[in-house]
Amino acid sequence: MNSSLPAIHHDQAGFEALVRLHGQTKDCVLDDIAIDMSATTWFDADMCAALGAILYRLGEQANTVKLQNIHPQVENILSKNGFLSHYGRTRIPDHWGTTIPYHRFDVKDDRYFADYIETELMHRSEMPSMSPGLMKKFRESVFEIFSNAVLHSRTTQGIFSCGQFFPRRNRLDFSVTDLGIGIRQNVQEAGLNLAPEMAIAWATEGRNTTKSGQIPGGLGLKLLGEFIDLNGGRIQIVSDAGYWRREGGNTVRCRLSQPFPGTLVTVEINTADTQSYILTSELSSADIF
Amino acid sequence: MSKTLEFSIFEIIGSSLCVASSDGQRVHDRLVAALKEGRSVTLSFHNITTLTSAFLNAAIGQLYGTFSEERIRALLKVQDMQADDLALLKRVVETAKLYFQDPRKFDQAVQETLGDDSDES
Repeated sequence: MNSSLPAIHHDQAGFEALVRLHGQTKDCVLDDIAIDMSATTWFDADMCAALGAILYRLGEQANTVKLQNIHPQVENILSKNGFLSHYGRTRIPDHWGTTIPYHRFDVKDDRYFADYIETELMHRSEMPSMSPGLMKKFRESVFEIFSNAVLHSRTTQGIFSCGQFFPRRNRLDFSVTDLGIGIRQNVQEAGLNLAPEMAIAWATEGRNTTKSGQIPGGLGLKLLGEFIDLNGGRIQIVSDAGYWRREGGNTVRCRLSQPFPGTLVTVEINTADTQSYILTSELSSADIF
Repeated sequence: MSKTLEFSIFEIIGSSLCVASSDGQRVHDRLVAALKEGRSVTLSFHNITTLTSAFLNAAIGQLYGTFSEERIRALLKVQDMQADDLALLKRVVETAKLYFQDPRKFDQAVQETLGDDSDES
């Protein structure tokens, strides 16, 4: 099986290209899959989480995947973040320290993921100087995304993450992808039959949750959206064939041509944000319960 | 009268990062053991740097499925929490109260949710 990839940006067109790749290859078993990247003149590094998930799934079906004709600058960045180490290349040092390595986690790896975030994001000298309040909110947001995947995806193939920061643009991109059942199916099992993009919109509202049983839920994605609005960043979610984006308080949703085999959450953080994120109204601990 | 028990979250989970639902479950199990016996508990967040709603839902939110609001209010206290963490806990508690009022009510506000968004094709 031969396939190809165009330039992959961290946007709707980039996701569309990746779901097309998934659509072309998803039924391959015990096959050699060659992906021609000669047209991939750009690859936003955090999108390795999504591509990695698609390719890992193919590996689980006993396929051999080869990435061919990679442009030198794309090869450079994907070697620095460790992605191409999975596909026969040697990892090269990241002297500028702008990559957040590509990693795959199992759902029970909460602690390992926490160490990864602390080591690769929070305690790196190369990280842009963010206010303590922003650092705390960002850290919480990343953990909310991971927890969401752990709690809802039912993935048996793992959770994938990768990031990149752009010092001159004051931007940090971070993506978490799972190979689980997707938001639409979760919502469907909760009794609502919604289109994929509608299901994402529903899940991002506070108080809406697909969780049942003894542990309540329903706040994680809502909190994330609120933070992104304050920060001036952007959040994009792809699940099944649904695409949802929130930016500047506005939400966009639409349908991709084919489904993604899980859920992808990607955030862009404005690292120059100087808000303190310290609450002005004091809440007493006596008023909590 | 029994002495108030003090539980340190840091001691229970052994980390300053309270992010995993499974860690929240461990805190929850200790709280249930105490509250069932009618013991007052102060839950200390000393040395905790990061909290998620997933952790707090498991640790505290699910108490509302077992105990009444009145009992929780009478027996449970928190201390050493930063203002924004208190605000998060308050939201978790409010959500849990609603959830356990009617845990299977999933169509709430769906139309408003979907009506608020703009479409793009």
